[in-house]
Amino acid sequence: MTAPHSPHDAVPPEGTADVTPPDSTVLRTGTLSWLLPRRSALAALLLIPVLVTVIALAVTASSTGMGLSETIGGLLGTGDPGTVMIVRDFRLPRIAVGLLVGAALGIAGCLTQTLAGNRLATPDLLGVDDGAAAAVVAAAAGSTTGMVGAWWLGPIGAVVAAVIVVLCAGGAGGAGYRVLVAGIGVSTFIGAVSDLIMSRQNDNTAGGVFLWAVGSLNGRDWSAGTPLALVLLLLVPLSLAVGHRLQLLRFDDDMAASLGVDLRRLRAGALVLAVALAGTAVGVGGPIAFVALAAPILAQRLAGPTRVPVTGSALTGAVLIAAADALGRVAAPVELPVGVVTSVLGGPFLLWVLFRPDRATGKA
Amino acid sequence: MTDTLQVPGAAPCGIEVRALRSGYPGRPVVEDVDLTVPAGQVVAIVGPNGCGKSTLLRTIARLHRPDAGTVHVGGEDIWEMNRRRAAHRVALLPQSPRAPEAVTVAGLVRYGRHPRQGLLRQWSREDERAVRGALEATGTTGLAGERLDRLSGGQRQRCWLAMVLAQHTPVVLLDEPTSALDLGHAVDVMELVREIAGTGRTVVMVQHDLAAAARYADILVAMKDGRVVARGVPAETVDEALVKEVYALDADILSAPGDGSPVVVPRGGRPATT
Repeated sequence: MTAPHSPHDAVPPEGTADVTPPDSTVLRTGTLSWLLPRRSALAALLLIPVLVTVIALAVTASSTGMGLSETIGGLLGTGDPGTVMIVRDFRLPRIAVGLLVGAALGIAGCLTQTLAGNRLATPDLLGVDDGAAAAVVAAAAGSTTGMVGAWWLGPIGAVVAAVIVVLCAGGAGGAGYRVLVAGIGVSTFIGAVSDLIMSRQNDNTAGGVFLWAVGSLNGRDWSAGTPLALVLLLLVPLSLAVGHRLQLLRFDDDMAASLGVDLRRLRAGALVLAVALAGTAVGVGGPIAFVALAAPILAQRLAGPTRVPVTGSALTGAVLIAAADALGRVAAPVELPVGVVTSVLGGPFLLWVLFRPDRATGKA
Repeated sequence: MTDTLQVPGAAPCGIEVRALRSGYPGRPVVEDVDLTVPAGQVVAIVGPNGCGKSTLLRTIARLHRPDAGTVHVGGEDIWEMNRRRAAHRVALLPQSPRAPEAVTVAGLVRYGRHPRQGLLRQWSREDERAVRGALEATGTTGLAGERLDRLSGGQRQRCWLAMVLAQHTPVVLLDEPTSALDLGHAVDVMELVREIAGTGRTVVMVQHDLAAAARYADILVAMKDGRVVARGVPAETVDEALVKEVYALDADILSAPGDGSPVVVPRGGRPATT
């Protein structure tokens, strides 16, 4: 057809529109075709050197005045046995655990924000943090040593809390905001139960649990890192697959469903992934604040507004936790738990998110 | 003219609705509805607010599971298909749909290809042709790079129609496609609906505007309280008795000077009893 049939709008002159996604490169062979999102790929490529730099800084960051050459000696196993042990058995696994926890929280945050259609939605609003905390606190209180050791109770507590939240909200396939409102109520109650248990413990137990409850990677080694890595190996590919479909949630439900999306299955799947990732991360590292909130928002800015930035959120989360943990080890005379560092930095970040004028629309 | 609207390789599909009951627990909204729509026809469903028009449309679109009865599209039960297969056959434009933030016109129309895409088929040549064709057919090619939220209501509605067309389904369902538009843009959209049907697609639309429904539909279906009270060729179906029964309104029915389609002129003042 030559003329647009609307005499009622001034339509710009016609041409052959380039309808390929402008931020992507098309790869085709036979009937197969792929889209390579250039901007997200570039963002990921930029995040990798940042990640490497942060890891290097974290390895060398020392509160005991260990020098660079000593650290490298420790890393290579050529330094004195004490240094080798500190670097290889304490610092490296702690950094690795930090990276994995950060990636898990980043993806969990990304899935939760997309599910709720709200960038302030985080897994802890699903009851994940308080559920994990209650399980770990109860275990520490019941154990004879009073130590926090059973990290794997975290994900179990998280899943139990999330199931309660979802049941209260009337099912996993329902609207995102109902789940969040139910989560706030259930979290508050479970948090109160934790506080009650804590208040009946001696100072020793309470101190150990408190350190975990603000979020700390102190003393985390491969016994926590290896299972965490295995969990991520399973859940990250699933999250990537779900992430692509989640962009359809940006339509209303009728539109998304008529585009062939099974909304109940998609929502339930994404919710289960978010809870499992966040629960595992919280079990290992404690409820480290703000990473699940900040990582997806930063990743979204890097990847552009039309994508669901699963990979970017994982990388950003890893960078944030590794950097915050290294900072906490050297910034103060006493080591600061990573959760304290992220809270101190996260408060201003949240205010920035809330009050930053949206450049696209001019709205606050 | 209509080559850009053509759906390659898709057989036309009619719709068969049989003894349909649909609604919410304890409150059927649609009851005992039978409806046959031959392929390539435009059907307009009219009726007062809350008469079950939209629920009927959503049930045909496989968005609402019927309590009883069946919906066949192209000879197959729509509830025997999975979501994705149904999306190959039926496209729906809901009333005032919500678009993803900051989406461009081309970006929106590309989403229409989602049911045909997968991990190994992310952007085929057919996707490209379908999107380009849908933009051309709706006269929105020149807007492809614009952001949807910066367009006027009339332009936006044409972009949504482009997205639905890009889905390349033999059946297109439209829920009040002109309700938010001024007269000029409403006529544009209805002309486009005729062109869509001209390519062999079957169109079922819910229409608030009885005159537009009468003028552009092949078959008019009037509903009241969840039941079909009249159906047929508009010129023979729309009369004073129907308007009184469905809308509880006394009206004169005139014949449009151009094509003789019925025009409803309310006399004002409701009748004493309905």
